[in-house]
Amino acid sequence: MTIIEILLRLHQNSYYFFAIILFIIGFHTMLTHNNLIKKIIGMNIMDTAIFLFFVAIGYIRGGRAPILEPGADHLYVNPLPSALILTGIVVAVSITAYALSLIVKIYQHYGTIDAEEIMRLRGGETL
Amino acid sequence: MSAATHLPALVIVVPLFFAYLMPLFARWREGWSTVTALGVLAFSFAGSLVMAWQVMAYGPFSYQMGNWPPPWGIELYIDYLAVFAALTMTGVGLIILVYASKDLPHELKPHLLGWYYTLYLLLMASMVGMALTNDIFNLFVFVEICAIAACGIISIKGSGECLEAAFKYLVLSALGSGCLLLAIALIYMVTGHLNFTFIAQALPEAMRLYPNNILAALALLLVGIGVKAALFPLHVWLPDAHSSAPSPSSAVLSGLVIKIYAVALLRLLYQVFPASLFEVTPVMTILLWMSTLAIVVGSMFAIVQEDIKKMLAYSSVAQIGYVFLGFALLDVSALMGGILHIFNHAMMKAMLFLAAGAFIYSTGVRKLSDLVGIGRTMPIPTIAFTIGAMAMVGIPLTNGFISKWYLVLGAIHGEQPFFAGVILLSSLLNGIYYLPIVVNAFFSEPHGAVAEPKRLPPQMQVPLAVLGFACLLFGVAPSLIMGLVSRASQALFGL
Repeated sequence: MTIIEILLRLHQNSYYFFAIILFIIGFHTMLTHNNLIKKIIGMNIMDTAIFLFFVAIGYIRGGRAPILEPGADHLYVNPLPSALILTGIVVAVSITAYALSLIVKIYQHYGTIDAEEIMRLRGGETL
Repeated sequence: MSAATHLPALVIVVPLFFAYLMPLFARWREGWSTVTALGVLAFSFAGSLVMAWQVMAYGPFSYQMGNWPPPWGIELYIDYLAVFAALTMTGVGLIILVYASKDLPHELKPHLLGWYYTLYLLLMASMVGMALTNDIFNLFVFVEICAIAACGIISIKGSGECLEAAFKYLVLSALGSGCLLLAIALIYMVTGHLNFTFIAQALPEAMRLYPNNILAALALLLVGIGVKAALFPLHVWLPDAHSSAPSPSSAVLSGLVIKIYAVALLRLLYQVFPASLFEVTPVMTILLWMSTLAIVVGSMFAIVQEDIKKMLAYSSVAQIGYVFLGFALLDVSALMGGILHIFNHAMMKAMLFLAAGAFIYSTGVRKLSDLVGIGRTMPIPTIAFTIGAMAMVGIPLTNGFISKWYLVLGAIHGEQPFFAGVILLSSLLNGIYYLPIVVNAFFSEPHGAVAEPKRLPPQMQVPLAVLGFACLLFGVAPSLIMGLVSRASQALFGL
């Protein structure tokens, strides 16, 4: 396969490609940063990547929103992934809200939001 | 249409509905929320019993949510494995809740009691939902409810340690959910279905056309569910989370929550993914070695613990290894052992955590070395602890023996005797950390706070006695549950 062909295929699947890149960025941020807020930001980037991936599955080039008009013969996109992702977004929002409220409480207790600092205060192993 | 036909939906929806009313009940009259929560769980348990009877008498059946037939609607599929899991969750959950009704006022601020029941009922509803559902996206939604409620019942105590443990659990759990959702996306992409039955039909063809998609989905599923079920290298969140939580929460998290993910993975591996997939990838071998490491390393970590609840938490890491070992040996008896161990370990570990909670309630002592002589001053919790410890080691006449027996049989029958050796070795390791506690509890002189414990209320003694009795009962007469378990594992093997 030549470089041109690879680039062409990447271009055709660009949504998936960028979704995976975003997923890895989020995953990496979530696991390697010590700042608790940054972990949550990483989690959100990861979730967004999955949402992009999921919605891209249902997208058809040139398709329209699936509002059926009698007599008209259009190409429609698949609405199911978008509907599922609405649920996914709600879940991500509630986890983010809960995590942020936990961070507020942790800050009140330890006076820091740095995971290693908290570990040092507790004297346990690192996260 | 009578109410009985809607039973599969009701056992999930009733706890969900009442969960949000709990704080209201708690405000209205003191003690009402406790009684209502108990009533709701008793209803779910009775419903699961009725469904178990229906399944045993007439075979598996399905329920269509809102009368939308699959693949459009959400389908609940009530088979042997589903009723088995639902019975375990609601039954043990009910016993733990009786105990919690007295232990919680001691551990939580009074205005939080109603909210605790909210989280508890949400957790129960989501676990029953995971057991019954036949729709992969519905499974994801229940997984998320379960994750938030499970973190909630840890962090509700509000101490620094709990908050930190809950946060760690939440982050790793969110990671697992992310992997799970991506796996669902990859599966939906190539099959176009969300219903387990339809995915299973479409996968062999998809496997031929897009093998990479399926392999990536399988890997993500394994990681996603592995994190949540605390399978060995992914267990790092468990010890802190399970040891810092209030005792009833520890019991429900260690006894039930990690198991329901194992049930979900079992269903996906055996019923959804085609058998041809396991010839291409060594996924079962990977699971086998992960669970072996879990059994050995978890036990070794447990030996060096000083804190009683931390020791029990590491022991859970080892015990979940048995469950996965049973799944991965690919043998009917081993699978029976693995499924039975879900039920047995739920009872044993719940009992051990509740007994540890009783020690902490009465004496405030958590260190193992300070608990010597406790058997003389607190006989009932210590006897319960002893039964639990013996079941963990797998001494005959306790239920732990039965599940280990089937696992060893499966390992020998499957011509992998090495894993039978692993089970024997781990029984020895279990003995090393459980038996000294029991011996010291009975044959040493109590001193300090242990000598004069606070009186334990009957609501906390009765659950311990019931669980202790059940552990012996299912050890002496395993046939009470084996009928369901053997049919479940035979159905999974398609026999």
